[in-house]
Amino acid sequence: MKVIKIDKKEWTGGIDKSREKYLLFGPVKDKDVTNKEHYIFKKLAAGEFPVMEGVDTVLSPKSVIFPQTEKILKSSLDQSQPDHHIMKRVENDYSSRAVIGIRSFDAKALTLVNLNFDTKDYQDPYWCDAYKATTFVGLAVNKPSDVDFSTSMGSGPFGEEGLDVLLVDNGEEFLAKVITDKGKTFLDAAGFNKTADESAVKKIEDLKAQAEKTIADKAKVGTDNLKNKTVLDLYEAPFWDDIAFSCINCGTCTFVCPTCWCFDIQDETKGKSCTRFKNWDSCMFPLFTLHGSGHNPRGVKTQRVRQRFMHKLKYFLDKYDKGTMCVGCGRCVQSCPVNIDIREVCNIMNNYEPKK
Amino acid sequence: MDSLTQKIREIASNILKEGRVDMVIGFAKGTIPMTTKPYMARTPEQVENFIWDKNCTLNLANYITGRKEKIGIIAKGCDSRNIVNHIVENKISRDQLYIIGVPCSGMADKHNPDELRDNCATCTHRNPVIFDVMAAEPVEEQKIDDPFADVKAVEAMDKDAKWSYFEGLLQNCIRCYACRNACPLCYCPTCFVDESGPQWVGKGQNKTDIQTFHFLRAFHCAGRCTDCGACEAACPMDIHVRAFTRKLNKDSLELFGWEAGLDITKRPPLDTFNPDDPNDFIK
Amino acid sequence: MANLFEHIGMEKERLQFSWISSAEAGKFTNVATEVANTIEALGPIDKFVKKTD
Repeated sequence: MKVIKIDKKEWTGGIDKSREKYLLFGPVKDKDVTNKEHYIFKKLAAGEFPVMEGVDTVLSPKSVIFPQTEKILKSSLDQSQPDHHIMKRVENDYSSRAVIGIRSFDAKALTLVNLNFDTKDYQDPYWCDAYKATTFVGLAVNKPSDVDFSTSMGSGPFGEEGLDVLLVDNGEEFLAKVITDKGKTFLDAAGFNKTADESAVKKIEDLKAQAEKTIADKAKVGTDNLKNKTVLDLYEAPFWDDIAFSCINCGTCTFVCPTCWCFDIQDETKGKSCTRFKNWDSCMFPLFTLHGSGHNPRGVKTQRVRQRFMHKLKYFLDKYDKGTMCVGCGRCVQSCPVNIDIREVCNIMNNYEPKK
Repeated sequence: MDSLTQKIREIASNILKEGRVDMVIGFAKGTIPMTTKPYMARTPEQVENFIWDKNCTLNLANYITGRKEKIGIIAKGCDSRNIVNHIVENKISRDQLYIIGVPCSGMADKHNPDELRDNCATCTHRNPVIFDVMAAEPVEEQKIDDPFADVKAVEAMDKDAKWSYFEGLLQNCIRCYACRNACPLCYCPTCFVDESGPQWVGKGQNKTDIQTFHFLRAFHCAGRCTDCGACEAACPMDIHVRAFTRKLNKDSLELFGWEAGLDITKRPPLDTFNPDDPNDFIK
Repeated sequence: MANLFEHIGMEKERLQFSWISSAEAGKFTNVATEVANTIEALGPIDKFVKKTD
């Protein structure tokens, strides 16, 4: 596999050059009016560069492909118009874009969401168009955070799934592993074309082994038995009430999650125009499954908490046989107000033996 | 082990053994540094999981709403005030509760463990106002010269500056509703933002809809908020949501001489009529 | 509520309260005119208005 060497002094120049052909997205520091700082993924304005120090963002970059609120259809309510009340697709910009500095686990997460939105029978046009238009330029994680357990979940700090390029920070330079043609096209557009020598591959492997060891040294999350458990045994297991006790049923875990794909459809009208939106929804909200009849099949919080973990760690695994629907980014562990830790829940599920 | 943690476990274990309560609600150690999780012990063995430290930032009164069992609950100053609110608002009865009071010297800021969190720095009710037993001797209450200096700073701004301040505060809100759900006051079966027939508020990331949620949620807390800070402890985006409720707390104090949750025999001011109520606003 | 209105930078005069009996027609017209005049003087509201595009 080809490795390109990028001198950090040439980085900003190359990024600027790539803007001629790509809309860029990346992590930037945001400061609110009370001076609280966060890193967020956003579209980069001219002159704005992604932070490449391996920062953790509260939210995942899924919003680049799947915005929290997305306008999808519109229609006119003006009966004098021939096409009144006919919903038409909103014209969105799907020109080439690149996400710079996305983590390996986030790129992997998007491939999992893709399984849901791009199937043989149905293709969500909004997702598919955005996903196809995007080049993913990943940044390997040299120093994994304390909550990173991606190696247990089929990804890893240097994982390549879903990425087009993987950048590895090597002091004065980035070593760019070219994974797809799409990735090569981006690097060409940025003018990054100095092939690294043989030692680069070895260097990347060393850094990778080091990063993976950092994660492995911490508690391991077991997923090996999940596949052989029966759904009903786990569903009816006695531990759900205890896990759910502290849950306040907010949407934090699902909104920070890179693989949560559920959405809700809302229509809004103003005057004679109507717009249909797609909004992120959360299985933690009671409204999520409320039927028109007033009946709610997941009316109490234990059922909702169980749904979240069962979907991620069991239903998805059974349906697609592509591992769990958790990539181990640790964002929900970090952000949950009541410290419900998916690593613990996963281990409990993985080790559960029903009483015969 | 910390003597307060020891004492809490001892009391909790005793009341479970004696059958005075069916469960005790407290805090257990979290899985990452500087966190705790609300925890319910049903057996004397489980009380060994209880801890007490500077990170018990949530409000446990949130976990007793509408419960039917006999409950032991560990309460710092603000939790106890919200328990009073719950009793006054008929969300639980006093006889159901066995309150283990914990004098509190303030919780740590979630990003700077060496500093007090904002609301604890201006707290004047560190000792529980209602309890069945205290886990330690009361601590000295803070004397705060100007508890509402932050609110006054906003009041001094001109109207456009105020508006851009509030717009700026809410620009990162993701509508996860953690602030609302962590709040012991927010127990409505269906919140106005979740109501779908009629739908009062748009559900997308429209800034006016987000502002409407925060503005009205705050107003629903008028005369009830104890400034416990659970909303900010819960917010994943670190939004200063107390900026709204603090103003209402200041108004409650100035207009009605009222601080919420101090006395189970008194109705909150917006719940009662008094001929002396300020009425300058009515023409 | 008017105070909270003012606190976020809205004009407090946009929210007015009055106690009028059904027998007080004169007071009703006076208050209505006064409210209308105050709001007109303030001009169109530019804050807290949902904009769609």
